[in-house]
Amino acid sequence: MTLTRPTPRRLLPWRNGHEPASDGALDGHDTRRAVLVLNDVTKTYPNGRDALKDVDLVVPEGDFVFLVGASGAGKSTLMKLLIRDELATRGTVTLDGDALARLPRRKVPHVRRKVGIVFQDFKLLPKKTVRENVAFALEVTGTPRRKIRPAVDRVLALVGLTGQADQYPHQLSGGEQQRTAIARALVHDPRIVIADEPTGNLDPLISWEILQLLLRINELGVTVLMATHDADVVTALRRRGVALEDGHVIRDEVGGGYHRAG
Amino acid sequence: MIGFLLFSITRAWQGFWRNAAMSLAATATMTLMLMLLAGFWIIQAGLLASIQFVEERVEVVADLVDGTTTAQVSGITFRLREMPEVRDVVYVSKEEALARYREQREAQGEEDLTPYLDSNPLPASLEVSLRRANDYAAVTEALTLEPQVEKVKNIADTAERLVTLTNVLSTAGVALLLVIGAIVLFIVINTIRLAVLGRAEEIEVMRLVGASDAFIRWPFVFEGAMVGLAGAVITLAVLLAAADPLSRFLFQFFEILPIHVGSISRDVTLLVVGAGSGLGVLGAWVSVRTYLIR
Repeated sequence: MTLTRPTPRRLLPWRNGHEPASDGALDGHDTRRAVLVLNDVTKTYPNGRDALKDVDLVVPEGDFVFLVGASGAGKSTLMKLLIRDELATRGTVTLDGDALARLPRRKVPHVRRKVGIVFQDFKLLPKKTVRENVAFALEVTGTPRRKIRPAVDRVLALVGLTGQADQYPHQLSGGEQQRTAIARALVHDPRIVIADEPTGNLDPLISWEILQLLLRINELGVTVLMATHDADVVTALRRRGVALEDGHVIRDEVGGGYHRAG
Repeated sequence: MIGFLLFSITRAWQGFWRNAAMSLAATATMTLMLMLLAGFWIIQAGLLASIQFVEERVEVVADLVDGTTTAQVSGITFRLREMPEVRDVVYVSKEEALARYREQREAQGEEDLTPYLDSNPLPASLEVSLRRANDYAAVTEALTLEPQVEKVKNIADTAERLVTLTNVLSTAGVALLLVIGAIVLFIVINTIRLAVLGRAEEIEVMRLVGASDAFIRWPFVFEGAMVGLAGAVITLAVLLAAADPLSRFLFQFFEILPIHVGSISRDVTLLVVGAGSGLGVLGAWVSVRTYLIR
């Protein structure tokens, strides 16, 4: 791999000292810890359709991975498996050392706090300000009040929204809304950020800004998995791209161009 | 723990006012349903009181043979009062019977015929009132066994009819109350479900950022309790305002009915507050469940 390896640095210092329990080693020559491991994963929905079939995927810590594929290729299913919204029919999904299928129900929220999720439609709460939207993620997970304010200020500065902190989502541009969502995804100091078509609703220039932001976050040591169907971006950035088609991984390479099947 | 409670209650309060229209609609529904429930409860209580009142009017009347002594009357009266079925025994002497007869004739505007009689033909009698109309047979039998009793007036027909009527009325009352309770339950739960549905987006975000079930559930449960209690308070306020004119009307209407307003108002208060908060909590609990981790 040609990736420069960033030093894992924690965005939010109070969560220091968190180490994964197991599943640290990767296959081959890469000795970095794996944040995410999918081992021979198949997901069959009750209607009999295989959304994913025999998928193997290892995402080392600090990696930036594009997940590419047409709609229906299995990207969304994969994302759902990572936050344990769905369980794999066969195979194992391991996130930061936790095998998700064996995880007791009450531990699921703790795993989700290790994953920051960014959606195409932002999923911001319209009646809360930017600051409140970001703080919400900490409030509902029982973070003590005195720790919320500095954490929120830090991530807002990181995404460049300090000046808009007291505005409501409808007062923001699309790019600013998505940056708010990214700030919310980061405020838990996640092990991995999963972005599901984060630029799908944005015009090209703003999309590029959002991408740059995700890259900067990756440089700070956060693993990023971004689903997209934008072939140009994947080609231009020469990052690792995992291509899905009909539930299969058809390509997994660094800098490979992506062309829409069919 | 205190932090969690504070969080839940604060969020419940904010949630209530941020979706004011929905919350007020839910509260209004809750209020109407509680009024319906309380109204039927009061009607049911009145019905039961009326039934009891009517049952207590049922009397077994036994004519005594002429010449029964006071001591014998006391003996029979004592034995009857020992029976659990008997509420009271009243002795009507021959003279009283005649006096009553005269009053009755006079009230009907008929001529008083008694001066033409040589002697008083009316027997002395015992009027035995019962606790429950259904007990007439046992009391009749006991009276028949007394040697001083000449004959017992046969009230089997009347008593049976009354018993059937009261059974039907009280069963129907309870059944109606249950049906209304079930309807209220479904309507309230559905209303709260709608209120929760309006916040699906928020719950979704909470789930995705890793909020535990308790953090998602309890604010809604508290909010449900708030809706229930608000509905209960409004209902009680309306009932309180209506109580005075209503009870005056009831007293005029059923002047003789022994309705204990005190115990009814206590029961209704408990019912309204209990049903309100209980339904609110249950509705919220059931509605949020759908969104929790599968």
